[in-house]
Amino acid sequence: MNHSAKHLYLKHLVTSVLRMVGKKSRTLFGVSLLSFIAASCAKNAPQDTWQPKGPNAKIIDDLQQPVFAVAGVIGLIVAVAVIYSVLKYKDRGQPIPEQTHGKPALEITLTIIPALILAVVAVFTFGAIFKLAKTDDTEMIINVTGQQWWWEYDYPVQNDFGITQPIISSGQLVLPVGTKVLLRETSRDVIHSYWIPALNGKRDAVPGRIQTLRLEADEPGIFTGQCTEFCGLSHANMRMEAVALSKADFAKWVANQQAAYVAPAKDSLAQQGEAVFLNQCVRCHQVNGLMRADGTPAIAAPDENVWSGSAPNLTHLMSRNTFAGASFDLLSKQCRDEVWNAPSDVIGTKYLAGVSQDCLNQKDLRSWLRNAPEMLPMYANPTQLAATGGKYRGMPYLALSEDDISKLVAYLLTLK
Amino acid sequence: MFSTGFKYFMGVTVLSVVALIMSLFVLDQVAIAGVALSMLVVAAALLGGIAVVTRDGNRQSGVNEQSTDLVSQSIWPLVTSIGVVFLALGLVISSAVFFGGIVILLAALAEWMVQSWSERASKDANYNASARKRLLNPIEFPVLAALGLGIVIFSFSRIMLTVDKTTGASLFIVFGSLVLIGGILFAIKPDMKRSLGAAICVLGAVGIVAGGIVSATSGVREELVVAKGESHMAPECGEERSEHFDKNATGTLSLRSSVSATIELLDGQLTARLVGFQDPQKSLTISRSAPTNLIFHNLDAKDYRLVAELGTRAAAEPEGATEKNLVCTQLAAQGFEQLLLLKIDKPAPEGTSYRLVVPGVEGQSIELVVP
Repeated sequence: MNHSAKHLYLKHLVTSVLRMVGKKSRTLFGVSLLSFIAASCAKNAPQDTWQPKGPNAKIIDDLQQPVFAVAGVIGLIVAVAVIYSVLKYKDRGQPIPEQTHGKPALEITLTIIPALILAVVAVFTFGAIFKLAKTDDTEMIINVTGQQWWWEYDYPVQNDFGITQPIISSGQLVLPVGTKVLLRETSRDVIHSYWIPALNGKRDAVPGRIQTLRLEADEPGIFTGQCTEFCGLSHANMRMEAVALSKADFAKWVANQQAAYVAPAKDSLAQQGEAVFLNQCVRCHQVNGLMRADGTPAIAAPDENVWSGSAPNLTHLMSRNTFAGASFDLLSKQCRDEVWNAPSDVIGTKYLAGVSQDCLNQKDLRSWLRNAPEMLPMYANPTQLAATGGKYRGMPYLALSEDDISKLVAYLLTLK
Repeated sequence: MFSTGFKYFMGVTVLSVVALIMSLFVLDQVAIAGVALSMLVVAAALLGGIAVVTRDGNRQSGVNEQSTDLVSQSIWPLVTSIGVVFLALGLVISSAVFFGGIVILLAALAEWMVQSWSERASKDANYNASARKRLLNPIEFPVLAALGLGIVIFSFSRIMLTVDKTTGASLFIVFGSLVLIGGILFAIKPDMKRSLGAAICVLGAVGIVAGGIVSATSGVREELVVAKGESHMAPECGEERSEHFDKNATGTLSLRSSVSATIELLDGQLTARLVGFQDPQKSLTISRSAPTNLIFHNLDAKDYRLVAELGTRAAAEPEGATEKNLVCTQLAAQGFEQLLLLKIDKPAPEGTSYRLVVPGVEGQSIELVVP
C-alpha cells in the first residue's frame, strides 16, 4: 500500500468512526474528554498522588513517575493496535483468512520483552517497598485506631517530644515536620485503610493486628486523606487530616494537649452545658479531667453504647479544625480558608489558635447535635440493625432541645 | 431480528430490574442485594448487547435446522423432584438440607435446560450430544471431582480423628506411600489398561470411605473428648489444670504476625518489644476496646504464664462481691510462646493501674496504659 493509499484508508477509517458515533455522541464524547483533561489539570487537588510532600511519598512518586510513563506508552501502543485491528479487520463478510497455529520466535519475543520490563520494575518496586517498611530509624510513635467512621490518634509517652502523659485526639493527626513518625495502626471493628497521599501510600488497619506506616512531612501544612477500604455506610465520609507543625509549634500543641481541664465559669451558659454533657454525652465521649457532681471522674462508657466500643475523646476539641471524623469543619469557611491557605511559616500559629466563638461553624455543629444521623449515614438506630446487640454505630439522635444545644455549644467552646 | 441469546439476556435483565425494584420496597437493608442485583442488570444487559452484536457468535445462524425427533430419556426431572423434596424437607428439618435442596434443584434445572436445548440444536444427534458435552463437561468434571475428593478427604479425616496419634501418623505414611507408588506405576506403565487404573482408584476410595463411615460411627478418640471438655479459652490463671493444651500456640497461629507487642521473660526480667520502639519497654499503650494481641515468649528455664491484671470485676456470687479480673496465657515452657488476647474497655480507675505480670517472677511487670 503506497503513501496516498494509506492516507486515504486512514481518512476512511476516521470518517467511518465519526459516522458510527453520531453527532450527539460526538458532543458527549468531546465534553467527557474535555472534562477529563480539565480534571487532570486541577490545581486544587488535595489528594493528588502526584504531589508528594514528604520523603516517603517521594519514594513512591519516584517509582510511579517512570513506571507510569512506560506503562502509558505501552498502553497507548496496545490501544492503537487494538482499535486499528478492530476497524481494519471487522467482519464485512469477507472470507476468513488462512488460519495459522503458533509462531515461536514472535511468541518468545513477546513474552521476554514484558518479562524484562516487569523485572526491571520489580527491582525498583522492591527497593521502594523495603525503604517504606523500614522502622528502625523511627523518631516518634503515634497509635492510630480506626472505627466506623473516624480515626483516633493516641500519642504514648515520649519524653523527647515533651509527651509526659498519653495524648488522645481524633480527626486530625498532628505531627512535627522533619520527624520520622511511625503510625501503629489497628482497628476496633472492621478493616479500614489509612491514606494521606501527600505523605505516604495506604496501610490497612486490621482488628487485632498492628500495621505500621511511616509518615514524614517536609514543611508545615495540612494534608488530607480518606479511608480506602470499604468499611460500611459512611465509608466515603471517613476522612483524615494530617497537620504538620514546626517543631516549636508542635511543642506548643503538646503542651496544650497536656494542659489540665479547666471547668467553665460559674453560672455561665457553658457550665450549664457541662451539666448537659455529663447527663447525655459522657455516656460515650470522654473529656479528661471532667468530674461528676459527686467529685468522681466522669469516665465514658462507649463500650456499653457503641458497637465499635469507642467514641471520639473530646478533650481539647476546639484545638482541632474538624469534628465527626473530620467529616465537618469546626471552623467557619472564612476562618478555615485563613488557616488552610496560610503560608507554611504561619500556618502553625493560625492552627494553634484553635476555634474561637467568632470562627465556630455554628450551623454544622448545631445541626450535628440536633440530629446527627440526618447529617451522616450511620445506622445510628440500633432497632433497625439487630446485629449490633442494641448498640449504636455512630452518633444517635439525642432529642436535645434547642436550649440544651446552645448550652452544649457554649461548653464545647471551652474545650480549647 | 433479535437473536435467541439477546432475548434470553434481556429477559434476565428485565427480571433483575423487577427484582431490584422489589428489593427496594421489601428489604430494609438493600446494600448487598441492591449492589448484587444492579451488577446482574449491568452484566445481563452487557451480555445481551454482545449477543445481538455478534449474532450469538454464530454467523451461520439459521443454517442448522432444528431436530424434530423425539427427545431421549432424561434423569433430570427425577433429580429435580428430589431437589424439591429436599427443599420441602429442609424447611422442617434444617437449613443445611434446605440449601442442599436449592443446590440440587439449580444443578438439575441447569442440566435439564442444556439437555433440552442440545437435543433440538440440529438434526444430527451426534452433533447435539457433542454440543451438550462441550458446554457442560468443563463444569461437570471439576464439580464431580471436587465432590469425590471432598468425600474421600472427609472420610480420611474421620479415620485420623478416631485412631491414636501414632497409628494416625503411620496411616498417613502408608497412605501417602501408596499414592506415590501408584503414581509412579501409572507413570512408568502408560500402556496399562485404563480399567485396571480405575479399579485401583475406586477400590482405594471405597476403602477410605468405608473406613471413614466406621470411624464416624465409633466416635473420636478419648484424648480429644477430654481436651474439648477442658475449655482452654476460659480464664484459668492459677495452677495449670488442662492436660492437652497447645504448649506452643503461636507456632500454629497466623496471629503471631503484626502483634501489638512481644513480652519477653529472660533472666527474670520482663520486657515488652514493640514494633517501632528501638529499646525494650516497660509500659504498653492499648486503645480502649481495641482487640490487642500479645505474644509471651518465655526464655527462662521454668514453665511460666503471662497474666494481665485488669483491676476487679463483679463476682458470680455472692451478689455485690468483686474478684480480681485476670486474663492469662497458658503455661509456656522454655523457648516457647503463648498468645494473649486483650480487650480493655475502660482506663484503670484513678490511683490504680493495669499491668502484665508473670506469677513466680517477683518485682517485674509491664504497665498497661489505656488512655
